[in-house]
Amino acid sequence: MASPLEQFVNNVRTMSASGNFRELCEIIGKSDEVLQRNSAHLNTVLETLDIQQHSLGVLAVLVAKFSLPQGSLSDNDKSNMFQQIHDFINNCNGEQVRFAPDLYADLCHLLTDHLVEIKQPIRGIEILKKSIRKIQLFDSQLTSIHADLCQLSLLSKCMKPALEFLDTDVTGISSELGGNNDSKHFLLYYYYGGMIYTAMKNYDRALYFFEVVVTVPAMVVSHIMLEAYKKYILVSFILHGKILPMPKYVSQVVCRFLKPLSVAYHELATSQHAAIKHRETFVRDKNMGLVNQVLSSMYKKNIQRLTKTFLTLSLSDVASRVQLSGPAQAETYILNMIEEGEIYAMINQKDGMVVFLDSPEKYASPETLCVLEQQMAACTKLHQYIQEMDEQIQVNPQYVKKSVGSHDEDMPATSQNSKTTYTM
Amino acid sequence: MFEMNTAEPMQVDVPMEDNENNETECYVVENPTLDLETYAASYSGFAKLYRLMFVADHCPSLRLEALKMAISYVMTTYNVSLYQALHKKLAEAVASAGLPDVAVQMGSQDIPVLDTMWVESRTKKAAIKLEKLDTDLKNYKTNSIKESIRRGHDDLGDHYLDCGDLTGALKCYSRARDYCTSGKHIIMMCLNVVKVSVYLQNWAHVLNYVSKAEGTPDFNEVPGKDSNQSILTRLKCAAGLAELATKKYKSAAKHFLAASIDHCDYSELLSSNNVAVYGGLCALATFDRSELQKQVIVSSSFKLFLELEPQLRDIIFKFYESKYASCLRLLDEIKDNLLLDMYLAPHLNSLYMQIRNRALIQYFSPYLSADMRLMAAAFNRTVTALEDELMQLILDGQIQARIDSHNKILYAKDVDQRSTTFEKSLAMGKDYQRRTSMLILRAAMLKNQIHVKNVGRDTGPQSGEAPGSSTSIATRTFDTVTL
Repeated sequence: MASPLEQFVNNVRTMSASGNFRELCEIIGKSDEVLQRNSAHLNTVLETLDIQQHSLGVLAVLVAKFSLPQGSLSDNDKSNMFQQIHDFINNCNGEQVRFAPDLYADLCHLLTDHLVEIKQPIRGIEILKKSIRKIQLFDSQLTSIHADLCQLSLLSKCMKPALEFLDTDVTGISSELGGNNDSKHFLLYYYYGGMIYTAMKNYDRALYFFEVVVTVPAMVVSHIMLEAYKKYILVSFILHGKILPMPKYVSQVVCRFLKPLSVAYHELATSQHAAIKHRETFVRDKNMGLVNQVLSSMYKKNIQRLTKTFLTLSLSDVASRVQLSGPAQAETYILNMIEEGEIYAMINQKDGMVVFLDSPEKYASPETLCVLEQQMAACTKLHQYIQEMDEQIQVNPQYVKKSVGSHDEDMPATSQNSKTTYTM
Repeated sequence: MFEMNTAEPMQVDVPMEDNENNETECYVVENPTLDLETYAASYSGFAKLYRLMFVADHCPSLRLEALKMAISYVMTTYNVSLYQALHKKLAEAVASAGLPDVAVQMGSQDIPVLDTMWVESRTKKAAIKLEKLDTDLKNYKTNSIKESIRRGHDDLGDHYLDCGDLTGALKCYSRARDYCTSGKHIIMMCLNVVKVSVYLQNWAHVLNYVSKAEGTPDFNEVPGKDSNQSILTRLKCAAGLAELATKKYKSAAKHFLAASIDHCDYSELLSSNNVAVYGGLCALATFDRSELQKQVIVSSSFKLFLELEPQLRDIIFKFYESKYASCLRLLDEIKDNLLLDMYLAPHLNSLYMQIRNRALIQYFSPYLSADMRLMAAAFNRTVTALEDELMQLILDGQIQARIDSHNKILYAKDVDQRSTTFEKSLAMGKDYQRRTSMLILRAAMLKNQIHVKNVGRDTGPQSGEAPGSSTSIATRTFDTVTL
């Protein structure tokens, strides 16, 4: 009688050979305990399996091995961990591992945690990118590995590689993220993503990401949501000069709890001194940098308002109207804003006057046309996608059954109901 | 040193219940040109008392006189508690005013003293009358004669009102409703309720019952009749008051303008002079030029009202003739007196502000460019103050112009429609994309049943920490905050 471990190896071999991956997945799910118990022999098992042919088996063994309590891993194993996972991700069979996306994601999480621990986050970026591409069914599918990638990007302050994923709007979500699993990785992805965009000063997109975090349906409030909400407020200040109202579909529990927990941030809107008054809070939340950005953006917003009302204004008047310390500071602000194209103005240094001009943009250039066309194309594409989604729902057997079944009673009501599930 | 007294905590009864406006405002009127005697004579009932108390609260120089008048008037009613409260106030006023002001000391000789005998006998009498009315009402009820029951309720309400129990009065008046047999009765009931509601400053109630009265079928049948006209005027006045109190100045103006002078006999709430002032100011603040001309200046009925307040008439005419400087100066002159009006005072500043803004907008409307120095002269303002005002108006979109601060010239702004259309459509497109991608993402989220919940530690693939309750995740996210 073979030991359970041998039986496992045999199963992996026979089933991989016959292409019976679904069944193999089930067996692997059950043999978790066996692998954990025989942790001493896992290296031997690995040697008997081939990464390419027995990807699922290797995956299970690797996950079992590295999820052991840290103390029981030998130093040798620890130093080899990155290399082993790296090799596996490079060489594994994509088709096979797609049968066990949760295990695959777990492996990536383990790798991420490991790299965070040994403080070498930058090493993981390339390999995680590859691993995401390997497991994705289509480009705009979100996996839980996305969150890991963003985390490593942030930690290593190397944001660009993550942008390629962040810039694609998500249209589908990998199964390991949803269902019964918790929403941690989903929240984290959008939270980290928002932070990356904030760092890149793409505030528009950052606001979008933070908004996603806050609007996730919720029965309880997550800490991630709270932190995202704080940053949502700050970014909203930078971008719009005020706190944008939350969408109506925010879960009630979120509305109820987030506001009282972020009073300091709300006060930024009303008083100039809030930044000093709540300094401790901001520093503790590690948002002080953003708060400072908010303060300087407030000055900019006020200067922009001036351009709407004035044709000419002396620098000292500018300073007094936007509460800057003096003409010199006003001049620097205006100079910077002109250079960044935020306002259109000229400074006359002889008599200290600023002449505000209208935007030179006349919307008559070929570039404008090009931008317009791109935007229109994007809109059309989105519209088509929505229509496809609508069609899918129309032919969904469950939907049809429900709308036809309740025909006698109140069909319009139910059809509306099932539709509204998919609208905002 | 008089200022100290206005902050006194003795806010007895209801006169200052309009919390949102009054409580924060604590001002003192120094030099009113108000003749208290004639002012008080045009009111009766609670209106008189409340107004006198308001004057006493806000005008130290008239405080003693106002309190004395209020006390002598309250002696004619059963309102014992108010009598005592007024005496308390009077005592405090004398104590604080007696020392510094010699003139007042002369008056202090005829300061009435608290008459405990009166209080006792009045309380007793009130109780007896209440009992009598109560038994009467019970008798009517057993005989179930509708008309008598209604009257019984009304009498009881009158008595409560006389005693100063406003909520009790309101209850009784409203109860009479079930026993109304004709439209006339309903209107009477409505008028009673409206009156008490005004005293209670329950403005929603006032408007409610005004519309109820106006909707009564009998009401519109005999339009020419005098009694109807007077009822209509009363309703309009009450509605106007309620709209004014809820800051809907335009509809307030319309209501007041609909009042008729020959039938304006509503001393329980306001005088004809009040109608003129309230209506005139609200109209000035909210009507545009043609409305002002049609509905105020050439209106035959409102003209008569304006005759009562010649100053206000001059103001309106000056405004219409674009003589803004003298108009605004006249407005400032009457401001002190208006501040002593309990219903108008909380809104005076915003009304004045609106009138000013309207004047500024009208002044500039025909010009392409205007010299701000001339403009400042026309508005009694310094150029910088004017600049601030104009800036606010431009930001609010009320004036389409830009300021040349160097040469102090205001230029009308020509808006490039084409560019703004481009701007708007691009912004709209961006917004659509954002919303739609959010929608798609949300659909995917719901499809995959992603929501924040307390996950049990066994269901998660790894540690399975509940994102809602665990602190360890939070610390992990903190680690990475690098911005």
